[in-house]
Amino acid sequence: MRRVAFCFAGLLAMAGTAWADPPPDAAPGQPDLTGAWFIVHPPHALKTVDGSLPPLTPSALQVYRAHLAEAKRGDRAAFDGTTRCLPPGLPRLMLEKKPFEILQRPKVVYFVSGDNRLPRRAYLGEKLPDDPDPLWLGYSVGRWDGRTLVVDSAGFNDETVLDDAGLPHSDQLHLTERYTLSHDGRHMAAEFTIDDPKDYTQPWTFKAQYVRRPGYEIPPEVCMDNPARRAAAMKATEEAVK
Amino acid sequence: MSSCISMRSKLRACLAVTAAAGMLGGSAVLAQAAPSTKGGAPPSVAPNGAAAPTGAAPTEGRPSRGPGPGSGPPRIHTLFNSGDPTLALTPPLGGSRAAPPGSAPPNPDPHDLEGVWQVQGYEYLLGPEPGVPPPLKPKYMKLLEQRIRAKNRGTPEADTETQCLGHGMARVMESPYPIEIVQTPGRITFLHEVAHELRTIYMNRPHPKHPRVTFNGDSVGHWEGDTLVVDTIAIDPRSFIDDEGSAHSGQEHVIERYRKIDGGAELALTITIEDPVTLEHPYSYKRIFHWRPDIRPQEYICEENNRNAPINGVTVAK
Repeated sequence: MRRVAFCFAGLLAMAGTAWADPPPDAAPGQPDLTGAWFIVHPPHALKTVDGSLPPLTPSALQVYRAHLAEAKRGDRAAFDGTTRCLPPGLPRLMLEKKPFEILQRPKVVYFVSGDNRLPRRAYLGEKLPDDPDPLWLGYSVGRWDGRTLVVDSAGFNDETVLDDAGLPHSDQLHLTERYTLSHDGRHMAAEFTIDDPKDYTQPWTFKAQYVRRPGYEIPPEVCMDNPARRAAAMKATEEAVK
Repeated sequence: MSSCISMRSKLRACLAVTAAAGMLGGSAVLAQAAPSTKGGAPPSVAPNGAAAPTGAAPTEGRPSRGPGPGSGPPRIHTLFNSGDPTLALTPPLGGSRAAPPGSAPPNPDPHDLEGVWQVQGYEYLLGPEPGVPPPLKPKYMKLLEQRIRAKNRGTPEADTETQCLGHGMARVMESPYPIEIVQTPGRITFLHEVAHELRTIYMNRPHPKHPRVTFNGDSVGHWEGDTLVVDTIAIDPRSFIDDEGSAHSGQEHVIERYRKIDGGAELALTITIEDPVTLEHPYSYKRIFHWRPDIRPQEYICEENNRNAPINGVTVAK
């Protein structure tokens, strides 16, 4: 909570600076999302918009319960590759305490995370490939819907989880993100829709809020420079090569 | 599921490197050189067309081993041209070629560097000339020789790149993987395909009085006419100047001068490196980057080692 208060203090101090300066090629009236963004309330365990447990299939529910049990006994590494510097996947990357930077350009919107410098690119005006290669962060295309940037992603591997608690997803995950800039340009409302027919009985949605921090320079974090995660990576290797 | 299994096996190989480095204190050597695999997986490229954006990597644009086009006289293949096989240098890659016919035309605007660029030539030793080492002080020249000999014994030092920590400067600019440049108000961002390396060049501020030390340093830039001048300090001294292992200190200072030539089809770079600790004197070298609108940068997760690509027995990217 202290951090959020600090963000707002920073906003007040720098009000009217960075977002008054749109990218040179921004179309008239088009929102400018360029800048550093912090999530207001980083979620731990995702719920649907009405606060329910997401509609897991019976087998995915078993997997979720196993993850919860593993976390409870201090064995997050069993399902959480971020403990050894593997990418968190999506939407989890967008739900971390660490900020991300948006670089908005006419054909591509880039998201550069403060988590290990991981980049995403949403190619505007393109369609998702029919059979995308499985990737940690998937393949993303985007479009503008009024003041809302809509990002569609698919082509995920199934080695990540949706949230810190360990909600599973399959390689059939199709993620839709809708980012809407507030009229004063200081906040961004996001809506995430999870469509994963293997692990969920129906598509479901959750929301998040972000606050802009003008002028903030996101440090280029190097995950493997974190001694605990580095040690975890080495431990996993030793176990794997046995 | 089969793809996951294959990913996991690659992960093991990658982390074995990390584990070996860590167990031996990070300064010791690896047990075995990468196996020889003719061809191997080169830096991947993808067409820029909307039709098949993540399809199989085409052959266009792959760096090929051996002298680059028009490279002229035979390359020096040992340190100081000594002929000593224990000082054999890793042969350079030919590097990028011009974009294939039918690619989007280059943008002639000298101040718009946006797009995907790929370096021509890939030298493992970044001295003033190919095959010539940086003007290292004797102590650091001896260290370079030790590192080259360790590599040639098949036990290369596990450097920061191998450990997924960071390439450092100027090494990251010599990677054969593409670099995407993005320009937004107040900054120029370099998104490197290799190991999701990132450089942010601040155009709206000087270096801080106490800059954060990072692998690629604190970079500030300004335009001198049509030349982008980038000044970089605060580079983590655990990294090397180049792949062969030329040392730099925390006082390394790198000045890069970028200028579009040939109507924007090429980006000419002059790099000047100063280091009062490890170098006898400052030195410079030049590089050409090709405009490659046909390349779409791909996901490259060093921590998973999904792109560990041995080519002719040499691991070109870890």
